[in-house]
Amino acid sequence: MKKAKEKKSNAIWSVILGVLSIAYMYPIVMILFNSLKAERAISTNTAFKLPTAETFAGLANYVNAINSQGFLKSLGYSLLITVTSVAAILLFCAMCSWYITRVKTKISNGIYLLFAFSMVVPFQMVMFTLSQTADMLSLNKPWNIWIIYLGFGAGLAVFMFAGFMKSIPLEVEEASMIDGCNPLQTFFMIVMPMLKPTMVSVGILEAMWVWNDYLLPTLVLDIKKYRTIPMLIQYFRGSYGRVEMGPMMACIMLTVIPIVIIYLAGQKHIIKGVAAGAVKG
Amino acid sequence: MASITFKNVVKTYDNGVTVVPDLNLEIKDKEFIVLVGPSGCGKSTTLRMIAGLEDVSSGELFIGDKVVNTVAPKDRDIAMVFQSYALYPHMTVRDNMAFALKLRKEPQEEIDKKVNEAAKILELEKYLDRKPKALSGGQRQRVALGRAMVRKPAVFLLDEPLSNLDAKLRTEMRSQIAALHKRLETTFVYVTHDQTEAMTMGDRIVVMKDGYVQQFDTPQNLYNYPCNMFVAGFIGSPQMNFMDVTVEKDGDGQVLVFGDSRVAVNKPELNEYIGKEVVMGIRPEDIHANSNAHVGAPSEFSAFINHMEMMGSENYLYLDAYGQKMLARIPARYEFSEDTTVTLSIDTGKIHVFDKETQKIICH
Repeated sequence: MKKAKEKKSNAIWSVILGVLSIAYMYPIVMILFNSLKAERAISTNTAFKLPTAETFAGLANYVNAINSQGFLKSLGYSLLITVTSVAAILLFCAMCSWYITRVKTKISNGIYLLFAFSMVVPFQMVMFTLSQTADMLSLNKPWNIWIIYLGFGAGLAVFMFAGFMKSIPLEVEEASMIDGCNPLQTFFMIVMPMLKPTMVSVGILEAMWVWNDYLLPTLVLDIKKYRTIPMLIQYFRGSYGRVEMGPMMACIMLTVIPIVIIYLAGQKHIIKGVAAGAVKG
Repeated sequence: MASITFKNVVKTYDNGVTVVPDLNLEIKDKEFIVLVGPSGCGKSTTLRMIAGLEDVSSGELFIGDKVVNTVAPKDRDIAMVFQSYALYPHMTVRDNMAFALKLRKEPQEEIDKKVNEAAKILELEKYLDRKPKALSGGQRQRVALGRAMVRKPAVFLLDEPLSNLDAKLRTEMRSQIAALHKRLETTFVYVTHDQTEAMTMGDRIVVMKDGYVQQFDTPQNLYNYPCNMFVAGFIGSPQMNFMDVTVEKDGDGQVLVFGDSRVAVNKPELNEYIGKEVVMGIRPEDIHANSNAHVGAPSEFSAFINHMEMMGSENYLYLDAYGQKMLARIPARYEFSEDTTVTLSIDTGKIHVFDKETQKIICH
């Protein structure tokens, strides 16, 4: 009796969550379908129709997206910014969290609270002063914008690293000191390898954010010279504001692919890393 | 190979708490020293000061004839085995053991030789390519020992290394560590709160309480001649019985009176305590059912058996003697039953008398 009731409630939940997941997936599937349709078949009226033999354009939109508007250049900028920013966040935030967790002073505690606080400050609150400051300090190039990303990404990274770091027994580090390590060797040879699960999860979360970020590069970078992929998408407009929907959809799909691959590859670590930080933190 | 000397060493933490108020200790070269005491007595702090993991607040700490107060842990020529093993989880057993040697940039051949040698002694050869998480507790502890061994340090420090192991493994590892000490001929400093470990392993034992050394002596002397009630109670299991008794004069000698019982002793040190209360200490095995088993003169007393525990070869009798609690260890061949009053005797040759106020020994 109880089992039957449980089964029924499971079925209801499955239906509700199934419908919800379709609702979430639907826009992405729509973009995929439209990216395969000919330009004329994408309009307000026809956008929801599946591609037919006449409207199917194959990979033409993708070829178009890659060849026009400097897609490859933008891809390069996006890659450069994402890689440098994530690398900087991982290295500096891991070191910073190590200091905060191991050196227990009022100052280190205060710094930790500041990092946690920075997570709740909305970006919009600081964006105009930030773009001014970035201009003043010449941090408006794709090769040095990572300094800004480091600042904005540090809150979450330090919070997660510090949470995990607390679960590493201090004795392991003491053993390495007795074995002959200096603090830098202890960090790179002992602490960092132990941080691997958190490194992967922080890396993926930050990479997703930096890769998809539109607002910060738009505000900071010289929009005429440097366009990241999210910035590029809006430039698939012809003259007089005509939107080239086909290539735009294709470009969106191309943008999503790398991040989905990274996410799938590191999915296991994300859950492990987040759980470790949360439970033991 | 090195001796260790503490000269007026003080350890005060940043929050103002003084854990070790004034430590003077001389540990000889190649000695196996055990620091023992209850939690918070400062024994681990003392060990960590030797390791260089805690600063010395004042005083001087020598390893050999060199003051090491400000010397970094890696330059002290020590090795340490931690309670939680502290193995590097991302390295294999081989890499764990070779880590210190690699940092010293020793030639690879030499490293391999030393690691294999240590693995052979500790029976770890089969596990050299495993990661620590794939090992049992005992194996992990042996890796920790191996990691310390390969470095051939002047001083070997062990911080409660057996407390995470089960009872059987503990006994096994105890003898392995003792054998290791004989083989390596190095100074060993071993911290534990377990008096059995201390008694079975140490050449000499430092009994600590509240940061002060209570007594520093051989296991036999600590057991037979404790300097105060704390040491007498801490060393020995089950612990020594303490009875409040009054000293009375009896001819040339003295008697210790509790209830109807009069224990005759002849100790000149007790003359100044005539008419006063003192504490009589008697170990559970020095209370006998048969008066022939005594070293000194037997002194009989009657007691009520509250509770009895069978231990196989012997029974523990929980007694009530004139309102005072006592424990007696009686061979199992004597048959007793609970809730009865029995007559037992105290071996007067094994009595310890303590000052009630200072808790220090008056006479053995």
